[in-house]
Amino acid sequence: MTGAAKTLVENFERERKTLPGASGWLDVSRAKALAAFAEAGLPHRRVEEWKYTDLRRLLDDVSLTTAPDHLGPVDLPATAFEAMDCYKLVLVNGRFRADLSSLAKLPKGVELHPLANVLSEQWAKKLIDRQSDHDGATRIIDLNTALMRDGMALRIRKGVRLDKPLHLVFLAADDGGAHARHLVELEEGASATIFQSHLAAGASSYFVDQVSDIHLGADARLEMVRLVDEGAKSFHLSSLRAELEAGADFGCFTLTMGGQMQRQQSFVRFNGEGAVARVNGASALRGRQMADTFCHTDHAVPACASDTLYRTVLDGSATGTFQGKVVVQPDAQKTDGRQMTNALLLSREASMNAKPELEIYADDVQCAHGSTIGELNKDAIFYLRARGLNERDARRLLVTAFLDEALDRIAHDGARDALRAVVANWFSAEGAAT
Amino acid sequence: MLEVKNLHVTVGDKEILRGIDLKIDAGEVHAIMGPNGSGKSTLSYILSGRDGYEVTEGSITFKGQDLLAMSIDERANAGVFLAFQYPIEIPGVTTMNFLKTALNAQRKARGEEELDAVRFLKLVRSKAKPLNISDDMLKRALNVGFSGGEKKRAETLQMSLLEPQLAILDETDSGLDIDALKVVADGVNALRSPERSMIVITHYQRLLDYIVPDVVHVLSGGRIVKTGGKELAQELEQTGYAEFGADAA
Repeated sequence: MTGAAKTLVENFERERKTLPGASGWLDVSRAKALAAFAEAGLPHRRVEEWKYTDLRRLLDDVSLTTAPDHLGPVDLPATAFEAMDCYKLVLVNGRFRADLSSLAKLPKGVELHPLANVLSEQWAKKLIDRQSDHDGATRIIDLNTALMRDGMALRIRKGVRLDKPLHLVFLAADDGGAHARHLVELEEGASATIFQSHLAAGASSYFVDQVSDIHLGADARLEMVRLVDEGAKSFHLSSLRAELEAGADFGCFTLTMGGQMQRQQSFVRFNGEGAVARVNGASALRGRQMADTFCHTDHAVPACASDTLYRTVLDGSATGTFQGKVVVQPDAQKTDGRQMTNALLLSREASMNAKPELEIYADDVQCAHGSTIGELNKDAIFYLRARGLNERDARRLLVTAFLDEALDRIAHDGARDALRAVVANWFSAEGAAT
Repeated sequence: MLEVKNLHVTVGDKEILRGIDLKIDAGEVHAIMGPNGSGKSTLSYILSGRDGYEVTEGSITFKGQDLLAMSIDERANAGVFLAFQYPIEIPGVTTMNFLKTALNAQRKARGEEELDAVRFLKLVRSKAKPLNISDDMLKRALNVGFSGGEKKRAETLQMSLLEPQLAILDETDSGLDIDALKVVADGVNALRSPERSMIVITHYQRLLDYIVPDVVHVLSGGRIVKTGGKELAQELEQTGYAEFGADAA
């Protein structure tokens, strides 16, 4: 076992007795997950799914010892979603902070708790213990199962609509590791909008490990908009598993901006017909930043639609990676599956890896996937300059437009405007971080 | 307004312009005609500052300034406007947003106040109407999926909004049917004024029936081989460019 994996295993041995759910079923699940993790170790580039992001090597550079409870004041960074009226759940170093959160006056039928409060409940157990395929990509979830300390648990009862967005704020105040698990159970016909902000609030070298387990009942609707804007020496690892019943509608948009290294995985599985998933994202990276997006969609049943667009802008010597796979199972006729990734390289040293894959075992389907990697169009820059824009503004207009076509897919107007403003700020920081 | 003296331009190792002399006074419209490959487009690009063209000899003076020393956008802000033969598609940027960005960039460069959204909208609508440009078209991404006519009308709208002092129209008639040509020509003619000069580059005489020039130059083999009045264009229509050493087109 390498140094990083060893530190993580030691964290578990030291904390096991104090982790939530230590006296119940979860302890058994944790021990099992830890054993599996210890055996496999951290994924490295010989594991196909981690070919471009060698976790074994990269985690050596960040502090992994579990970050302390942070009970004192926090320098709350301004968040992009601040201007909107939201319920707010704040985690600092991965632990719930009631004093910073605002969860009052939730509608009847909406249960929103820190994770530790729901661990004795069946629905939570079911979501956490769900057997995933345990392949090269999902295996890393074991680490989270073993070490998760807190998170957000949201359950919305049949037909209930969360009346305003829920903003989940994840702050890193101290160096070290933070392992959080979020559970979302929307019963039949329920609906919610969730914003997520991942920000540094004092920490410099840290590791965020987050897993979201989501189940959407029939005709349920969930819209997620995530901003990942971590600190300069961080590693952000997140895995999202969503299962959709018939007619469910799931939208997830992720904007990745600030952090040093990120690996974000999504696994969407259709369990019922007529469900729709839109998993989109954009990232703008510079300096030596790295962002790896892994996007898996499993059309297990007929007549579902999935649509994915990821756009990446890379400056400096940043590296972007997109790996996508759409699987259409033998029975999944009438599937509509689309996946596209486009990258724009603004410098000679930047690089992009793209691996879109389709696996189709049904014959009556519509599937399309594609990938482009290119530079700014010189003719377009000339055209804009010939109309009076200076070179910097011309480039900026073209890059913004490129990202905008992904941001346009955010259904929530306020969130879309908020993330556009974040992108605009990225240019203002130009030259500051190279 | 514009004075070109003994201009030699190479692209790569090839000399395209071989000693051009041209003097255009304020308010004049000059047509530059010539066969394919004679250097017409090179002249338009060298005036607007495009990369990839090297001036080996000669000078260009615009309003007393050395034009060749200015960057692309400095030229635009000083009042040089190139209407493109093939306007570039800009996905993700609406025509409206582009027009506002361009106009305000120029106003800012000239030390003028930027226009707010309301004043801009009023202005752009008043300029768009005579060109049959609807609000719907203004909301579309610039030139993306535009027909040939729409692209040229959009170019004319930009010219009308930016009010340049020297407008260079590069093959503005290409890709236009006769109705579209009339709309564009009316738009251009409406911009003729004693303070504004124009260079109309065209292969065919047809455009010059609608935009009537004061002076016609024939460009062939990188040189201006003949200069005359508007009747020269009609002569060329009869005789072709053969007498100037080019194949009849």
